[in-house]
Amino acid sequence: MLIVKNLNSGYGKLQILFDLNIEVPDKGLTVVVGPNGAGKTTLLCSIMGIANIFSGEIMFNNIPLAGELTYNLAKKGISYVPQMGNVFAELTVLDNLHMAGYLMPRDEAKDKAAQMTDIFPVLKKFILRKAGTLSGGERRMLAIAMGLMKNPKLMLLDELSTDLAPIIAEKVMMEVSRLRDELGITILMVEQMAKRALEIGDTAYLLVSGEVRYKGKADSLLHEPELCSMYLGIKPPADKKNSYALPTPEEGSE
Amino acid sequence: MTTKNGMITKIKDYMLLREVMVILVILALLTFLFTSRGVPIILTIFIDFAIFAIITMSLNLETGYTGIPQFGRVAAVIVGAFAVGSIPGRIMARFMGFPWGIEYASDTVNFKVVPQITALLASNWLLSLGFLVLSLTVAALSGAAIGWLISRPAIRLKEAYLGISLLAFGDFFMWVGHNWKGMVGGSVPVNVPDPFRIFAGNRFTIIVLVIFTIAFLVFVFLNKLTKSPFGRSLRMIRDNDMAAAAAGKNIVTVRTRSLVIGSALAAIGGGLYVLYVGSVASIGFSRLTFTFWPWAFMMLGGIGSNIGVLLGVFLLCILRTMIVIFRSQWFGFLLVVGIDPLWLEFTLMGAVIIGVILFLPYGLVPEKIEPMLPANRVKRVLAGRQ
Amino acid sequence: MTPWMSSGLIYASGLALTAGSVTLIYITTRTFNFAVASMATIGFYVSYTGVILYGGLPYKYYPFVIIIGSIVGLICYYGLNRHLLRRRAAEITLMMSTLGYDLVLLSMIQMYTDFLTKTYKLFPRRVTMNIYDFELFGEKAAAFILPFIAIVFLMGLHMFLTKTKFGVAMRATIENPVLAGASGINSDRVYLVAWVIGGGMAALGGAFIAMAQTGTPVMGMFIIPLMFAGAILGGLGSLYGGILGGFVIGMTEYAGVFYLAQRFGPWVLGYRMGIPLMLMAITLLIFPRGLAGIPLVKLFGLLAGKKRGVNA
Repeated sequence: MLIVKNLNSGYGKLQILFDLNIEVPDKGLTVVVGPNGAGKTTLLCSIMGIANIFSGEIMFNNIPLAGELTYNLAKKGISYVPQMGNVFAELTVLDNLHMAGYLMPRDEAKDKAAQMTDIFPVLKKFILRKAGTLSGGERRMLAIAMGLMKNPKLMLLDELSTDLAPIIAEKVMMEVSRLRDELGITILMVEQMAKRALEIGDTAYLLVSGEVRYKGKADSLLHEPELCSMYLGIKPPADKKNSYALPTPEEGSE
Repeated sequence: MTTKNGMITKIKDYMLLREVMVILVILALLTFLFTSRGVPIILTIFIDFAIFAIITMSLNLETGYTGIPQFGRVAAVIVGAFAVGSIPGRIMARFMGFPWGIEYASDTVNFKVVPQITALLASNWLLSLGFLVLSLTVAALSGAAIGWLISRPAIRLKEAYLGISLLAFGDFFMWVGHNWKGMVGGSVPVNVPDPFRIFAGNRFTIIVLVIFTIAFLVFVFLNKLTKSPFGRSLRMIRDNDMAAAAAGKNIVTVRTRSLVIGSALAAIGGGLYVLYVGSVASIGFSRLTFTFWPWAFMMLGGIGSNIGVLLGVFLLCILRTMIVIFRSQWFGFLLVVGIDPLWLEFTLMGAVIIGVILFLPYGLVPEKIEPMLPANRVKRVLAGRQ
Repeated sequence: MTPWMSSGLIYASGLALTAGSVTLIYITTRTFNFAVASMATIGFYVSYTGVILYGGLPYKYYPFVIIIGSIVGLICYYGLNRHLLRRRAAEITLMMSTLGYDLVLLSMIQMYTDFLTKTYKLFPRRVTMNIYDFELFGEKAAAFILPFIAIVFLMGLHMFLTKTKFGVAMRATIENPVLAGASGINSDRVYLVAWVIGGGMAALGGAFIAMAQTGTPVMGMFIIPLMFAGAILGGLGSLYGGILGGFVIGMTEYAGVFYLAQRFGPWVLGYRMGIPLMLMAITLLIFPRGLAGIPLVKLFGLLAGKKRGVNA
């Protein structure tokens, strides 16, 4: 569905991604993991036309996206849930939903907003409150609801689990896998909570310093103990604990 | 690697070409003016150039190197001008036994006293030189003082806030100048003793030489300053103030220092202008002439590059003078409907600013990012380490 | 009404509109609009031209004032601001570009006054607009009409921003341009509308100010620090803050000059601009983010807490 080919991008003069190749298969959950500063968010920003693209191609259902303005991408059926600032804090929850459905006719947006409050009942309670007054978890819910409002073909989710309590983060993750299973939406997800994300994901990419270090099935990345412990902070499975200890300084310096 | 080096030399060639072309244009315009109008016009342009070069370079220190959007340049210039207009003359009047209080600035006293001071100065070259040095010192000191004073409330503000506050303070000093009769006569011009009268017929040429020399000294001083460790911290703060603070630079102190130095230089520029004109008319010191023109000069020349600023000032000074001289010849059609072509000066200023921003964002001579130490010295240091 | 109050009200309404225009354009496009000076002067000259050539009350021509101001704003957006925003230019660059535009406009205004002088034998360089006004309850009618117009205009703007879909989209873009773009809101159109409304507001404000002061071609040039001071006093965060800031600045100037001149003599009149600027400087010293930086919620919370404490 989405193919990123030899992408070089960054902000201003600063290049962050180097010759990146990524494929997001149809109706699948693709997970991008990696340490801080690997360029995960920049990848999403490049797709959305927020970062500067120096060279490379981004194809969405065989339509080139590179160089398009952000609001035209929204029209093509891509919805983006940023990591920070993913709701309009000054607007009410209802206005937030309506703004997310900005491109739809008014009635359709109303129906869709009602549908969203059914999916996320917590939003119904606070429908006329300003989004800035919601708690972290409620805000994420609202952000996902806003992403869904657009009837997206492709959703780009940026670190949904940030500043959430572990229980709520777990809930959000379940919600995401439900979106794929029940609504059949293609999802490209960037995630810090690597272990959980890799468990629910189909395909995975490990991004390190702007380059792809691993690509393949999501759960098989969990069985690459060296990569896991080095970049993701995931301890190796218990049964192999002794053979795959944390890298010693000599190994690290190589 | 070789292709990369080739690219770099190509870019260098290109930049050099641009500088050469600008100089050629300037020379062509000068020749044209010389052949059609003669020497005096060229000298006027030179004086304009030198004075505005000082002011614009001081602006470049604050805006280009430190990143302070100085929209109140006129404040320091006007303070320098008023200091030269009021203080040295009063000191002389005191010693010669003339009234030197508030009444010095009133027009009836002033036009009797000042010629006598000038006559005394013209009789003794040491006195003239002393007067000149005194004037410039007074200007620089009061400029530095005003820079410090303005920096107090403003320096902690961010970008737009800072720019607008500086603009407001600049205007405030303008208003004080226009209204404070006791100092330099408010809206009535006050004459200034002329230390160059000693040269009689050659006065004009000598003034050009003196102002040029001072402009050159300022240029050398700023070049040294911006290459010194202090200049490095200026650029550091401009590019990333958080990182600079984390590296142990006191942002407020460094920015204040930059404002003080810049204001002192601008005040010297204002003082020289007053000495050249021979009188202080506070109406003449407007935001347009002494804030926005220097901004236009700096943007055309290239923010953060002193050579570029010089080129920009020279080019625009010539164009500005040409509009003034040739206004009735070239724009006579405007006079038919009663429009004074002098307004085209503003159009030129605006068009230059817009054009530069749209088509030449880094100016005629973009700032060169140079390593602080020459490459061979870095190599030597590294070799010494191993 | 005391004498300073009627003209103070007129002037403060004008400043409120212009400061609101500065704030609106700043919060949408990050552009500190210097051209507001010439926009205001243009507004004044449109009303002047209407009154002098076609007669009647100045109020009749305010629709034209708004339209022409909007066109000036529109040109600035399409000719200049749009390209720079696309390029993600720095705030200072955006500011300088409007300064260039302002200078071009200023030269055009000057030429236009020259043209009026020569062609219609008028004296457009020093104009007192309030001689074309009528009397109401023993005061100049403008003292009642202009604040009323300003309030109606601002209420209309408020309705637009809260009740219409595009207005809400504008607020959304102001708050979070990235998310708004990702929601499919055309930021180009939002910026355009901001410039059009801002231009209209600035021109209307200029026409107001000329009813209280002498109108000259450099009128805007002189008052622009106060317009900015109003916007900064309002904290540059919200439109309403800017409007309030402009109003406060205007009223302070008139009231301050009146009482200080009574106390210290008429020489104070020369320094009238200093009073509001002093107010701004003091506010900035205490609250570096303007009136918006005053922790109102905290303040109220404290008061409420105290009350509770007293009750208990």
